[in-house]
Amino acid sequence: MGLRRHRLKPARTAGLGLSALAAIEVESLSRSYRSGTGVVRRRRLLVEAVREIDLSIREGELFGLLGPNGAGKTTTIKVLTTLLLPSSGSAHVLGFDVAREAREVRRRIGYVFGGDRGLYDRLSAFDNLSYFADVYRVPLRSKRTRIDELIEMVGLKGRERERVETYSRGMRQRLHIARGLLHDPPVLFLDEPTIGLDPVGARDLRQTIASLKEAGKTILLTTHYMFEADALCDRIAVIAGGRIVATGTPAELKATVADRTIIEIDVYGASSALIDRLRDVDGVASVAVEAREQAQVILIQSSRGPELVQTLMRELDGATVGRVVSREPTLEDAYIELVGRA
Amino acid sequence: MIRLLVNGLRIHFIQLSRSSNDIVAMTLWPILYATLAYYLFGAHSNPRVLFSASLGATVMAIWGSVTTGSSGALDNQRRYGTLELLVAAPVPFMAVLAPITIATASIGIYALATTLLWGWLVFGIPVHLAHPLLFVVALPSAVIAIGMLGLLIATTIVVYRAANFLGNSLEYPGWLVTGLLVPVSVLPAWVQPISWVLAPTWGMRALRHAALGGSTLPDIGACLAVSLIYAGLALFSIRGLERLARRRATLALS
Repeated sequence: MGLRRHRLKPARTAGLGLSALAAIEVESLSRSYRSGTGVVRRRRLLVEAVREIDLSIREGELFGLLGPNGAGKTTTIKVLTTLLLPSSGSAHVLGFDVAREAREVRRRIGYVFGGDRGLYDRLSAFDNLSYFADVYRVPLRSKRTRIDELIEMVGLKGRERERVETYSRGMRQRLHIARGLLHDPPVLFLDEPTIGLDPVGARDLRQTIASLKEAGKTILLTTHYMFEADALCDRIAVIAGGRIVATGTPAELKATVADRTIIEIDVYGASSALIDRLRDVDGVASVAVEAREQAQVILIQSSRGPELVQTLMRELDGATVGRVVSREPTLEDAYIELVGRA
Repeated sequence: MIRLLVNGLRIHFIQLSRSSNDIVAMTLWPILYATLAYYLFGAHSNPRVLFSASLGATVMAIWGSVTTGSSGALDNQRRYGTLELLVAAPVPFMAVLAPITIATASIGIYALATTLLWGWLVFGIPVHLAHPLLFVVALPSAVIAIGMLGLLIATTIVVYRAANFLGNSLEYPGWLVTGLLVPVSVLPAWVQPISWVLAPTWGMRALRHAALGGSTLPDIGACLAVSLIYAGLALFSIRGLERLARRRATLALS
C-alpha cells in the first residue's frame, strides 16, 4: 500500500455519518483566528491555522500528527478537545460533535500537554489528582483507588504528598498523564508530552504511552521528535501550513524518500548564498539546514547517491567543512521532504 | 456536584494561602486600615466604634481580594495552564469557577483574624461578640455573597482577557458605595439602590449586627438572596460566554 495522499474521504457507515470503528472523524475542518495590529489605524488580520483537513482515526489506534511550529497541530487538538469551535467543517469524537455535544465529548477524552503548566504547583500531586478527579466526575467510591493506581502507574509512589513545585519536569509530565487518565477516557490527546524532558524521562514516558495503546486507548499524539513518532505511531499525518500533506504508516511515509540517499555535511559559517548554490547542483532533490552547536548541518537529499559528495565538496570549496556522512533516509527525512514540498 | 464545590473551595483556598503575595496583602492592608481608623476616630473613642472599624477593614480586604482577585484568579488559571483543563471538563464551568471566587473571598478570614488580633494587642480593642453564633453564620454568608459577586465579575474575564481593569477599578468605589467607609444612609439617594444590590453592603451589616448587636438574620437573608441573584445571572451568562471564548480563542495565554 502506498502513501495515502490527503483529501481521501473515509468510508461511511450508512445513516451514522461515521467511518466504521472511527474514534475521531474530522471532515473539511478549518479554524482561523482574528487578530489586529496598530492602535490608531487598527488593521484586522485573519490567520488560517487549519485549512480544510480530513482525518479518520480508528479506535485503539495511536495516531501521530507531525508538523513544524505553527502548522496547526495544537489548533486541531484544541478543536477536538472542545476548547475551540471550528470555523467550518466538522469533527466528531466517538460519534459526538465537538461543537454541539461538547459535554459528551469531554466525558470521553483526556487531554495532556507538555511543559511545566497545567498543574497547581503549590499543591501536592495527591491534591491535584483529588481535585481533578472531582472535576472529571470520578465516582467517590473509586476515587481514592483510582488515584493510588495512577500514582503507582506513573512512578510517583512515595512522592505524592510533596508539593508539585518541588518536582522535576519529568515527574510533572508523568503527573499530567495521571491527571489525563483519572476518568479512564477511551480517547487521549497528547500534545507534545515529551517536550523538554531528559532522555530517560522521555523514554519512560514513551513506555507509558505504549502501554496505554496496549490497554486499548485511542491516542492522538503530536510531537516534534520523529524517532518517537516512528517508534510509537500506527499511522502519521504530516501537517504544514494548516493542511495535511500526507497520511500513512511510518513505513509508508519513509517510502516516499526510499530512493534517496541522505548526505549530511557539517559546515561552519556557511552563507545562505552557498546553501542556495547546493540547491542548484544537479541531482539534489532538497536541502535543509539545522543549527547544531557551532556547526550548521546541511541535510541533502539526492537520488544520485554517495557519488554526489565530490560535486558537493567542490561547491563548498572555501567553507570550513567538518563531518560528511552518507546514510539511508529516516522518517525525519521523509518529514523534511513532505514539509518542504508544502 | 457538592463534592466538587467543597473540594474545589478547599483546594483553591490552600493554593491561595500558600501564596506569600496574597497572604501579605491580606494581612498587612487591613492592619493599616484599622490603624488609620483608630487614629481617625481617636484613641478615646467608644471601643464599639473601633471594633466596628476593624470589621469594616476586614470587609474592605475581602472586597479588595474579590475585585482584584476574581479577575486575577482566572488569569492565574490561564498562567498555570489549568483554565483550558477546567473548561474541557465534563462539569458545568460555573461549578468550577464558583469555588475559585469564593476561595478568593475566603482568604479574607486571614484579614479578620489579623485585624482583630492587632486591634486587641496593640490598641486594646476588646473582641466582644454580641451574637457569637450568628457571627459564625454571618461571616461565611458575607464571604459567599461577596465571592458570588466575584463570580459574576469573573465570567466577563473568560472572554475579555483585558477585563482585569474592570475588577480592579471596582475596588475603591465599592468601599464607598457599600458603606464600608461611610454609612450608606449618608450617600446620595440615587446611590443607595446601587448599594442594596452589592453584596458587601449586606455582608458588612450582617457582621456588624452580629458583633455589636442588632437584627442580624435579615442581613444574612439578604446575603443569601443576592448570592442567588448573582448565581442566576452568572449561570445565564456563562454558557454564552464560554461558547464565545471557544470562538474567540481566549482561554489560553497564546
